[in-house]
Amino acid sequence: MIYDVTHVTAYEYGSPITFARCALRLTPQTGAGQVVLSAEVATEPPAATRSERICFFGNRVTMMTFDTPHTEARFIAKARVDVRRPPLPMALPDETLDRVREEAIANHGLSPTSPAHFLFPSHRAPDYPPATSYVRESFPPERAALDGALDLIGRIRRDFKYDPDATKVSTPLSEAFEGRHGVCQDFAHVMISGLRGLGVPAAYVSGYIRTIPPSGRPRLEGADATHAWVNVWCGQRVGWVGLDPTNAIPADDDHIVLATGRDYSDASPVDGIIFGSREQDVDVSVDVIPVG
Amino acid sequence: MSATTLAPRHFDHPERLDALLKGYQLLSGAPDELIGSDGLPRPHWLRFFGGLTNLTAEEIERRFNVSDQHIRDSGVSHRISTDPEADALPSERAWPLSHVPLVLPESEWRAIEAGVIQRAELLEALLADIYGPGRLFTDGLLPPAVVTGSAEFLRPMHGVKAPGGRYLQLYAADLGRGPDGRWWVLGDRTQAPSGAGYALENRVALSRAFSELYRDMNVERLAPFFQSMRAGLASMAQRMEPRICLLTPGAMSETYFEHTYLARYLGLLLVEGADLVMRDGLIHIRTIEGLKRADVIMRRIDADFADPLELNAASHLGVPGLMEAVRAGSVVIANALGSGVLEANALLSFIPHLSRTLIGEDLAIPNIAPWWCGQAKERALVMDRVEDLAIAGAFGGGVPGFATSGAVLGASLSPADKDRLRRTIEERGVDLVGQEVVRLSTTPTWDEGRLTPRPFVMRVFAAATEHGWRVMPGGFCRISDRLDARAVSMREGAQSADVWILADKPVEPMTLLPTADKVRIRRFTGTLPSRAADNMFWLGRYLERVEATLRIIRCLAAQLIEAGATRDLDTRAPQKLADLLFAWGALPEKRSYVASANLAARALHSDTDYGSAFCLVRAARHAASVVRERLSPDTWQILNLLQARVEDDADVLLSEAEILDRARRALQVTSALSGLVQENMNRVAGWRFLDVGRRIERAVNTCRYVRQFTTDDSPSGDLDALLDLADCQITYRQRYFVGLAVAPIRDLVVLDPHNPRSVAFQVERLSEHLDMLPPLQGDGMPEAQRRLVSLLAAEMGAAEAVTLDHTTILAFEQRLLSLSDAVGARYFLQGPHAARAGKIMGLA
Repeated sequence: MIYDVTHVTAYEYGSPITFARCALRLTPQTGAGQVVLSAEVATEPPAATRSERICFFGNRVTMMTFDTPHTEARFIAKARVDVRRPPLPMALPDETLDRVREEAIANHGLSPTSPAHFLFPSHRAPDYPPATSYVRESFPPERAALDGALDLIGRIRRDFKYDPDATKVSTPLSEAFEGRHGVCQDFAHVMISGLRGLGVPAAYVSGYIRTIPPSGRPRLEGADATHAWVNVWCGQRVGWVGLDPTNAIPADDDHIVLATGRDYSDASPVDGIIFGSREQDVDVSVDVIPVG
Repeated sequence: MSATTLAPRHFDHPERLDALLKGYQLLSGAPDELIGSDGLPRPHWLRFFGGLTNLTAEEIERRFNVSDQHIRDSGVSHRISTDPEADALPSERAWPLSHVPLVLPESEWRAIEAGVIQRAELLEALLADIYGPGRLFTDGLLPPAVVTGSAEFLRPMHGVKAPGGRYLQLYAADLGRGPDGRWWVLGDRTQAPSGAGYALENRVALSRAFSELYRDMNVERLAPFFQSMRAGLASMAQRMEPRICLLTPGAMSETYFEHTYLARYLGLLLVEGADLVMRDGLIHIRTIEGLKRADVIMRRIDADFADPLELNAASHLGVPGLMEAVRAGSVVIANALGSGVLEANALLSFIPHLSRTLIGEDLAIPNIAPWWCGQAKERALVMDRVEDLAIAGAFGGGVPGFATSGAVLGASLSPADKDRLRRTIEERGVDLVGQEVVRLSTTPTWDEGRLTPRPFVMRVFAAATEHGWRVMPGGFCRISDRLDARAVSMREGAQSADVWILADKPVEPMTLLPTADKVRIRRFTGTLPSRAADNMFWLGRYLERVEATLRIIRCLAAQLIEAGATRDLDTRAPQKLADLLFAWGALPEKRSYVASANLAARALHSDTDYGSAFCLVRAARHAASVVRERLSPDTWQILNLLQARVEDDADVLLSEAEILDRARRALQVTSALSGLVQENMNRVAGWRFLDVGRRIERAVNTCRYVRQFTTDDSPSGDLDALLDLADCQITYRQRYFVGLAVAPIRDLVVLDPHNPRSVAFQVERLSEHLDMLPPLQGDGMPEAQRRLVSLLAAEMGAAEAVTLDHTTILAFEQRLLSLSDAVGARYFLQGPHAARAGKIMGLA
C-alpha cells in the first residue's frame, strides 16, 4: 500500500522565541517492510541553519536553528511511502522465553539492531517491577515467547483505557501504569519496560497508522495520528517483530515507521530547546492517505 | 618486641615509639601497612612514627589541631547528596582528615605508578575500540551487553573521533591491598574522577602541621603533577593560550568544594551549563564581554547530563547542542563524553584478557573480577553460591528490587528475599555481578593518642600529557569505619587520609614556578562569566544590606537605651528605625508594634524574616559560595565569622545593651570584610561587580534614610539617627559647630562628593566602574547603564541642598534602581536574549 503522509506540528508560544535549536525525526527511512518514495520537511519561519544526520539507531535527524523572534512555528513533513510488510507466519515460532533471553545476551555485535541495545532500562522505560509482574503473567513456562507477546498486547488493549487527556508526553510510566490509562506512547513504554524486566529485548517505534473511518462516513482531514508501538526481539531465528499494544495487532501495512529507538526520547518526532518563552501550545495534525 | 629491634635507626625517643606501636592491635585476617607479616614494623613507617614521636604527646595533639583548624578555615567540605538536581540544599560536611598519612616507600610506588599507567593506556585503547571499529565485539572478546548496559555508553559518540585524539585526560584507579599482600585494582574512574583536589588540600593541611617531619622525610611533592595536568589539557586545544573551563553541576554537587578549589588552583574558568552556549558549531561562554569561545572543558558532570537535546532530556545541567560541537571537533571535552562506560563492574572480569589483546601485555596490577551474571556459566556459579557472595549492580546502582544502593550480601537475606534475589539473577542476570567479600589491608589511624588499624581504599590519579601519562605521587585515601572497605565513599563515618610517598633521595622543594621565559606577562585574568558577575554583584548588595541592617539595629538599641535613661518621649526615632526594618523585611508583617529590644533582636537573629541580618548573611554566603573560586580563603573565613556573629546562640531575651554589643561586634566583621575587599582584591571585573552592587545598595539605602528622617521640622533625635546610619556624626560636627539642621545634613549625606557615605560619592564610583567595564560593541556608543549613570551624576551635580525635597530624592532612588536593572540586563544572564532554555516536545 502506498500512502501520502502529511504531518503538521504547530507551536504557539506565550512570548517571542529569540532562539531555538531543534532535532526533527520527521523523515521515514526505507527498510523494515517499507520504501520511502519521497520525503520533505518544511518549516515556518524558515530555519537559519539546517543539517541532516543519521543517528545511531538509523533514524534521519534534521537539526535546525531559528534565530529570528517568532511566536508561532510550524513543522510540515510530507512523505510518500510504499508499505509491504509480510504477515506473521501462521505457525508461530516456538522459541521460549528462556531461549530468547539466552540468545539475546549472545554476541550480536554493536550494530543498531543488536538486541543488546534494547535489553536495559532507559530514561522513559525505566526498570519498573509492577510492569514486569504484569507482563510476566503472559509468559507461563513453556509458552512460546511470541505467543506470550501476542497475549500481552491483547491484555494491554483490554486492561488499559485509551484516554488522550489522562497523560502528557512527560507523564512517567508509573503513572500511566497505575491509572491503567494513556495513549499509544504510554502503552508502548509499559510493554517495553515489562518485557525488558523479563530479559526480553524491546524497542520503541514511532510512526503513523492509517485510521479507517466508520463505514459510510467520509474521512476527516487531520483525523489520523502519530502512533507508537513496540518491536519485540523473539530470538535469533525470528528477530524483531512489530506489535501494536494500542490496537492489539501486529504491525502491518497500515503502520508506517518514522523512527526507532530505546524509548520515546530516541524517536520523538519533534524535539528542541527554545530560548525566550516558557508557555507553549502544541497542535498536531496527521493525514495518512492511501494513494494506491 | 624491644625498642632496639623496633628502631633500627636512631630515634630521640625510642620509648615513646615503642609505647605507640605496642598499643596497635591488628585485626585478624587482614594484612597491615604498618606491621609486616613478620610482626615487625616496616622501615618506612618507622621513619614516620620515629619522627612523630620526637614530639611529645601534647605537641602532637597541638599539631593535629593545627591541621584541623586549617581544614575548618579553608572551608574544605563536601555535601552528602547524590541527586545533583535536588531542590533542597544538602548539608555541607566538614572534611574528616585522618591525622596519620598512608606511607609508602618509593620502590613500591614505582610499581604502582607503572601499573596505573599501563591500565590508563589499556583503557584508552578500549574506549577507542568501543566507540570506533568495535573489533572486540565482532571478534567475540567482549559481549556487547557489558557495554550497552551502561547508561554512560553514549550512542551519539559512536564513530565520533574524540577531539584531540584522546578519550581519557584524567584517570583514577581505586586500589586496595588484598590478603596476599598484593595491590589490586578495585575499580576504574574514567568519567570525571574526583578526589585529586581533596588530596591536594589534605597535603596542605598535614604538611603545615608537620612541616619539619614532612621536609625531612623526602615526601614526593604533588604540585608538579597538577602543572603537567594543566599543560596536558592546554595541549589538546587548537589554539595557543586556550580558554579552559571546569564544568560543574553547581553548588548542589557533593564535591563542589573540589571544583572551586581545582579551578582556582589550576587557573580554570569555573562554569555551569547555563554559562555555556553552542553557536555555529562552537561552544561559547557567556561573559560580560559577550560570547567567548571555550576550547577545553574539563567536565565534572556526568556525560549523560551534558546535552539535553541529544542525551538525557531531563538534564538542566548541560549545554544544548554540545554533542554537535563535539562531532564538529571544535571543543575538547575531558574526559570525552562516554568515557564513563568503563566504570561498570560487569567489565572488570574481561579486562585481563583484553589487556593481552589490546596492548599485548599482562596486567601489572591485577583487578578484582566479579562474575557477571549475563553469562550462563558465571550466572550458575553465582546462583550456587548466593549464600557467601555479595551481589551488586553490574552497572553501578543497587540490585533491582532491593532497597540498598550498594551490594546485597546473600548471607544476610531472609529465605523469601533469597528466592527473590535468585529470580532477579535468573531474569535480569545482565544487571548483576556476584563477588567475593574481600578483606583489604589496614592502615593506622589516630584515635585519641592510640593507633587503630582501619581498612582503606587508595585512589591513584593519572593525567595524560604530551609526554605520556603522569601519575600523581600520592593519592586520595578513604578510610572506612567498617571492616569491609570495598566501597568506601566519603559519607558518614569515613575519613580521608593523605598518601606520602617517601623518596630515597631528597626531593626538589617546589617546582610550581614555570621557567620565566615561557610566561607571557599579563594583568588581566581573562573574561568574567556573566553568572559569576551576577553573583559578585549580589554578594556586594547583600553585604551592604547586612551592614545597613546592623547599623539600624545598633542605632535602635542605642536610642532605646537613651530613651530609657532620659525618659525622652519627644523623639520618634526608634519607631522610625523599626519602620525601616519592617520595610525591608527584617521584621514580620506590620502590626502596631512598639519599638523594643525584642524587635531589634528579631531583626538581628530571625531565620524566617528574609531581611534580618542573619538571613541576609546567609544570602550573601550563598552568593559567595557559587563564586568561591574568585574569593580568597580569607574572605571566606571572614564570611563564616560574620555568620557566627549574627547567629542566635542565646535562649534568653536580650537586653538593649546586649543587642547593641552584638550589632557592634558584627559590624566590626563587616568592616574587616570591606577592608579586605578594598585592599586585597585585585581590580578585575569581578571586584568591580562586587563594588557596583555595594555602591548601588548603599546609595539607595541612604536616599531612603534621608526621606525617612528629614522633614523641615525634624526633631533632633531623627537627625541624629540619620547621621548615625550614614556614619557622618564626626564629619558633621567638625564641619558645623551649630546644632543639627536639615539642609547641611542633606548636603553632607546626599550631595557631598567628598563624603564616602554620600549618595553622590557612590554615583561617582559607579560611573568609574561602568567606564572600566568592557563594552559589547566596538562602536563607541554608550550603553544604557552608562547613559543612566551619566544622567544621575549630572542631576546630582546640579542639585542644591536647600531645595532638595523628597520628590527629588525619590527620583534619584528610582534612577538608581533602573541603573541596577540596566546593569543586570547588560551583563547578567537574565537579559532578554539569554532567557533560560525551555524544552519543546511534540506529541506522540
